[in-house]
Amino acid sequence: MLSHKTIRRFEEFTFVMPALILFLAFVVYPFFSGFPLSFYKWDGMSPQKTFVGLNNYLRFFQDRNVGNAVKNTLVFTILSMVCSNLIGLSLALLLHRSTRFNSVCRTVIFVPYCLSLVLSSYIWRYVYSDVFYGMFRIPSPLGSTEWVMLGLAVIAIWRDCSYCMVVYIAAIQGISPHFYEAAQIEGCPRVRQFFSITLPMIGPAITSNFTLLLAWGMKVFDYPMAATAGGPGRASETVAMLIYNNLFVYFKAGYGQAVAVIFTAMIFVCSTGLSRTLRKREVEL
Amino acid sequence: MLQKTNHPLQKSLLDLLRCFVTLVIFAPFYIAIIYSVKSKPELVTNRLAWPKTIHWENFTTAIRVSNFGLALKNSAVTTVISVACITLVCSMAAYIIARKNNRLYNFLYYVFLGAMIIPFQSIMTPLYVMMKQMGLLNTLLGFVLIKISFQIAFTVLLVTGFVKTVPRDLEEAASIDGYNIYQVFARIVLPLMQPIILTSIVLNALNVWNDFQTSLTFLQKKEVRTVPLTQYFFFGENNIELGLAFALFMISMIPVLVLYFALQKYIISGITAGSVKG
Repeated sequence: MLSHKTIRRFEEFTFVMPALILFLAFVVYPFFSGFPLSFYKWDGMSPQKTFVGLNNYLRFFQDRNVGNAVKNTLVFTILSMVCSNLIGLSLALLLHRSTRFNSVCRTVIFVPYCLSLVLSSYIWRYVYSDVFYGMFRIPSPLGSTEWVMLGLAVIAIWRDCSYCMVVYIAAIQGISPHFYEAAQIEGCPRVRQFFSITLPMIGPAITSNFTLLLAWGMKVFDYPMAATAGGPGRASETVAMLIYNNLFVYFKAGYGQAVAVIFTAMIFVCSTGLSRTLRKREVEL
Repeated sequence: MLQKTNHPLQKSLLDLLRCFVTLVIFAPFYIAIIYSVKSKPELVTNRLAWPKTIHWENFTTAIRVSNFGLALKNSAVTTVISVACITLVCSMAAYIIARKNNRLYNFLYYVFLGAMIIPFQSIMTPLYVMMKQMGLLNTLLGFVLIKISFQIAFTVLLVTGFVKTVPRDLEEAASIDGYNIYQVFARIVLPLMQPIILTSIVLNALNVWNDFQTSLTFLQKKEVRTVPLTQYFFFGENNIELGLAFALFMISMIPVLVLYFALQKYIISGITAGSVKG
């Protein structure tokens, strides 16, 4: 006979079982089976794989295309992370008060965030070619090897600044008005109030927005894929795209997996590093 | 923040600024909207002007040419099934993880937290091999399984955070009344979870409906293309008809906008809940 307690434990476990099985089968298992794959030279289709040991990893550090992809990804990440947050915070300061008019503005500003990244990319391709160039004769950044990452970052900023705005508005609304009342009585100017009250109080929101946008930026795939196909040349090929291309375009799946392993480590190090640094600067309440 | 000085002039200047910013952010949609109702010759001669005649037939032609009906069906089927499964499976798991603080469930919580950082690329190649072996490549079922599994970590964390804020009293009373654990969940907990379930539904629906990377990798046959894929390939073709392409855009935006305007409150609360946890 099973004891009452065992049955109860089992019943509880049945609740997590479906999620756990799916998660183990389609996330955890492939994640770990990716490691052995990265030690082989393999085209992604044929049954033949050749063991090459750490060669794929050594190649990573010599491959000029990897260097290029890492650079592109970092430029995109920093631009989109910093600008989305700055613009998001400015929008939040402008629209944080709950008036009817403000909530209409917020609703409209948030619409881009609901679109697919593919759609946003195509709309912006024509904003650049027909408005920037068509009206103002500013050549589209997507056609220039120097400016293409900025051009892509603008699309991301357009979409994601509204996300930052929402988080910052919630944080600002959570600050007790007493702080501002006290500051006003003391005759503290508005700008000073922002730096001495608002900014420290929204610390956790800053940390979470920066960390999240860092992760989004480093994983960027859809924008360059849809807006430029990695071009001109390989000027906007990102790491995520490079891994995809290694599997489906260059037929170097084993090498691609090695890049993916290092890429995962990079994301892990950058996001924990950033969130630790930012968390340290948060003020204790 | 408290701002009390509001001079009427200052207030109207601020409102003007708010208006301006909103318009700037909304402006790119102008292109999508007017291009979608313009004829081919008009798009050549005068792209940005307000259309002289509105060509509604762009919408019907675009649907016919690109086989968009099928794409809409594929997207709708995969989104509905994935979201339903994600929501059910994750709210069950989250309930136990939030309520039972033993070592096993705490460990699971941290596993899901850690999994949030895994980029899709790191599992793409092995998953591709696995799907091929299972015969699930280029099937909607395979796509749905991957989408569900990949969203589990995020959704479990989101719902767990909510369940922890719900008092246990009702559940305890119900189990004293002789409800078993399944009845407690179905009759007591699930109704209380309604707001977070709506949040999870809308955030996951947006994610699956807008997905491009997973579908590009695992759905490579024409018959299984989803909406973003159809748009991608339609735009990739040479000498595309812009009017038709943007007509497709407008159609694919409608479900998203409906969802957004109907459940906006839940999107916002989901985003703020997620961010506080970090």
